Amino acid sequence: MSREYATNDWYPVADAARMIPGHGFTTRLLGEPLEVSGSFENPVVTARDGRMLPVQVRYGHVWTTTGSAPRPLFDIAEADETDRTFVPCGAVQVRCSPLRAVENFLDIAHFPFVHTGILGEEPHTQVAPYKVEIREDADEVWATQIGFHQPQAAKSATEAIETRYEYRVPAPTTAVLYKTCPPKPEAWDVIAIFVQPVAEDMCIAWPWMALYDDVSPYADLVQFQQEIFLQDRSILENQKPTLLPLDPRMEIPTRCDLTSVVYRRWLKRKGATYGALTTAA
Amino acid sequence: MTFTLYNYVLSGNCYKIRLMAALLGVEYETVAVDFYPGMEHRSPQMLSLNPAGTLPVLTAGDLVLTETQAMLTWMATSFDTSGTWFPAGDPALLGVVQQWLGFSGRLTQSAGLARLHSMLDWPVDGQAACAAAVKDLRILERHLTDRVLEGGLWIAGETPTIADVACFPYVALSPDAGLEHDAYPAIRNWLYAIRGLPGFVAMPGIHYRHEGTSGTNG
Amino acid sequence: MTSVAVGLSRDLAAKRVMRAEVQGYDIAVWRDENGGLHAWNNRCPHRGMRLSHGFVRDGHLACLYHGWHFRKDGGCAYIPAHPELEPPETISATVFSITENAGVIWVSATDTAKAPAEDGEWEPLRSLSFACPPEKVRHAIENTPFAGQLPERAASGHLTAGSTALLVHCAPLGDAETLAHLLVAAGTSLAGRKALSRWCETARESAEAGPA
Ligand SMILES: N[C@@H](CCC(=O)N[C@@H](CS)C(=O)NCC(=O)O)C(=O)O
Ligand code: FES
Ligand SMILES: [Fe+2]
Repeated sequence: MSREYATNDWYPVADAARMIPGHGFTTRLLGEPLEVSGSFENPVVTARDGRMLPVQVRYGHVWTTTGSAPRPLFDIAEADETDRTFVPCGAVQVRCSPLRAVENFLDIAHFPFVHTGILGEEPHTQVAPYKVEIREDADEVWATQIGFHQPQAAKSATEAIETRYEYRVPAPTTAVLYKTCPPKPEAWDVIAIFVQPVAEDMCIAWPWMALYDDVSPYADLVQFQQEIFLQDRSILENQKPTLLPLDPRMEIPTRCDLTSVVYRRWLKRKGATYGALTTAA
Repeated sequence: MTFTLYNYVLSGNCYKIRLMAALLGVEYETVAVDFYPGMEHRSPQMLSLNPAGTLPVLTAGDLVLTETQAMLTWMATSFDTSGTWFPAGDPALLGVVQQWLGFSGRLTQSAGLARLHSMLDWPVDGQAACAAAVKDLRILERHLTDRVLEGGLWIAGETPTIADVACFPYVALSPDAGLEHDAYPAIRNWLYAIRGLPGFVAMPGIHYRHEGTSGTNG
Repeated sequence: MTSVAVGLSRDLAAKRVMRAEVQGYDIAVWRDENGGLHAWNNRCPHRGMRLSHGFVRDGHLACLYHGWHFRKDGGCAYIPAHPELEPPETISATVFSITENAGVIWVSATDTAKAPAEDGEWEPLRSLSFACPPEKVRHAIENTPFAGQLPERAASGHLTAGSTALLVHCAPLGDAETLAHLLVAAGTSLAGRKALSRWCETARESAEAGPA
């Protein structure tokens, strides 16, 4: 039963901009409707049967869970560094599996073709070897020692640079990336994608960033991330099958797909199969 | 500096201005407006510039323009040395160009709204917007098919005009709302042709043709 | 006859890609720089991206997502992330049979594609989508008057509207749509072709008006 694992994770259902007191709204989580009301500081989330669900406000979003034994929400330490600029980028609906959205976020090989002129460009297509591991203590997937040539790595970048990346998957529907911060080389910029699984074949992505950038206007920061994510959306809605195949025979990876391979293996091992295809079709 | 564009990266209407500028080879400055989620186009500062509260807004010195079609006209007449993007000397052709500029406004309300609904959960009737978009796609397909039968390709005349630029974005972006181009061969070939114009720039949802061996556009 | 008409030859130029549906398969149809046609399962073997969004370069169809190149035989020729790597033989797009004749492109997902033999010279009119099943399209086309007169029906798919011979091939597109590919006798005037284009739009109105 693919919902079982998923019900005990926390999911974003609103950001501050969406929470207008007196204007509750309906959304969907794991195929079920939810009512979201209250204020951003004191949100109320109600299930269809009238049950009030647990909530917490973290990382610029309202989080909830429907299960009876929720796992704790993962920690992003940089969220407490007050000199960062925190940028919630709104909600984007995508007709794809929540897991496909996360996997796309973990992939760098598509940069030259999908994010042309920003995150990559031909002929700089090569992906050098990097490290991927499942950190058993935290039960997270980590990919480290990644480097990629980027024409405009961030809004704050003034020239093409060799960007360094680390990726982290703290929960099946969340990916966090740490990348070179052009104005502050000793620190990482943090960009995350929090995915709300609306159904197995439909999700809402809530991109969020924690950056060091005192120069760029706020609206530029939001749009930089929205531009990139909306480029991905047109890919995500055209991947077939819609669900993420976990049978290794269904799609053929190559060396640069190690993060995706380990992510799929990790999901399968945990039984985190909501949004996944577990048998070959 | 030639002009300043108050810009939102996901707006098809703002993209018309960015695309026109790129095709004309004009440099300009942008001011990012946080349309979503910030709703900054409704801020007092933006409303004082454009009381209608829409994007884009273009300023050049004392000139403040709202309405995309006006901006395209101003840009073509100011910066196009070839005189083909806005065929001022040919009344019949200019009439056709104006007709399809008007039609581009319909597309904002049909395919444009359908996209905002499907992508950002915009509070509009998504089904009605999709139905209106299908109607508009059929109208454009009919016209472009006639052009093909006449041996043409562009919306009006033998060269691309501001009418092509004005109609391009929301047609090209209709798959964002689940409205594919598979059933519209004339539209498909017209979209390919615009994406192949020298200087073409992409936007999210519209990709480069990538046909050249290492460039972005071929 | 298991072949399906997917489009008019005129509407797919060299180095272009389109999407079609054939016998329930999602298909990428592309034309190489020499005019050769190819029909593949519309799913990249790498991560499932629709190949119909890809681009034609160096005689290959390349996938938009990560730029993998596929040769005309479907085999993977190049993986940009690993330029030095010789892609394994096992990586291949699934190739279907395709042919064209008398201005129409035919695909079969189950055996060798065959185009019907056509007498006479034909010119493309247009491919028109109808939001109804093929039977209703055929019925509407045969029963929509042209210049005040019902078209005369000859062999399957052949009609005469006014004095112009027409050829119509219908194929389903998804569950609710039909794509009708129309050709007219060579030499039909521009005014005549435009009039027929209006006529098939009228037929569409009546086809879509009835109960579904
Ligand atoms: N007629 C206007 C329409 C522009 C328009 O609809 N812009 C959208 C963004 S693409 C907008 O600002 N919508 C906000 C609103 O209508 O409240 C034009 O051509 O500039
Ligand atoms: S999905 Fe086609 S190249 Fe990766
Ligand atoms: Fe991406």
